[in-house]
Amino acid sequence: MPDNWGFVLAAYGLAAVVLIAYWRRLVRRERATGAEHRPTVRRA
Amino acid sequence: MVRIVGGVTLVALAAGLVMAFGVAPREVTQGNVQRIMYVHVPSVWVAYLAFAVVLVASIVYLARRVDGADRLAHASAEVGVLFTGLTIATGSIWGKPTWGTWWTWDARLTSVSILFVMYLGYLLLRGMIEDPDQGARYAAVLGIVAAFNIPLVHFSVYWWRTLHQPPSLMKPGPGTMPGVIVAALMVNFVAFSLLYVYFVAKRVNLLRREAEAAA
Repeated sequence: MPDNWGFVLAAYGLAAVVLIAYWRRLVRRERATGAEHRPTVRRA
Repeated sequence: MVRIVGGVTLVALAAGLVMAFGVAPREVTQGNVQRIMYVHVPSVWVAYLAFAVVLVASIVYLARRVDGADRLAHASAEVGVLFTGLTIATGSIWGKPTWGTWWTWDARLTSVSILFVMYLGYLLLRGMIEDPDQGARYAAVLGIVAAFNIPLVHFSVYWWRTLHQPPSLMKPGPGTMPGVIVAALMVNFVAFSLLYVYFVAKRVNLLRREAEAAA
């Protein structure tokens, strides 16, 4: 059977893209909620 | 703590890749395309794990009304849907060169699709109900009902005639796979399980912050 490296690359590439995209989404939302939570510092 | 888990996960994922491409041998019948197994099988393992956690957390929530249990169920369902989608996609990519088709309405593929749609419905239900307590209650019931589909998915290959092969690892009796392939698979199981813990921990923190902001 031929090795079909293209399919292997597609499977691993897709997994990497999906997992990184989800991680980035979490980080972005964390930053957004962190910014909402951050108390405003006022200078005297 | 979450950051440490993230670091360890990254190292484990790198080790998983080394095992899948550097240590595990080329499979005799399928050739190198069989290496898709090292991402496909751990993905379905994480999906099973995630939905089992949804089941337990949902029971705890209904019994004790602990907000933390509801947040854990919500986070775990989201990560479970992500990994179920990944399982279906990588399985489809693996199916084309080995079975000659991207998709077939085989019992395993169909039952996994139903599992995916049910938990997608679980997430939609949570988003649709405005009252958080009511949403959590309904979602917990659905989280328990949907879990009955997990054994159906796993045993579908025994109960019906399917194109999908029976499990080589998660089954009773002695294993049939060579030790080095099992070792590569185990490293990836650990790496994906750590990734599950990392994602769920981050998502639970986020849900807590969002709840605090809304209060």
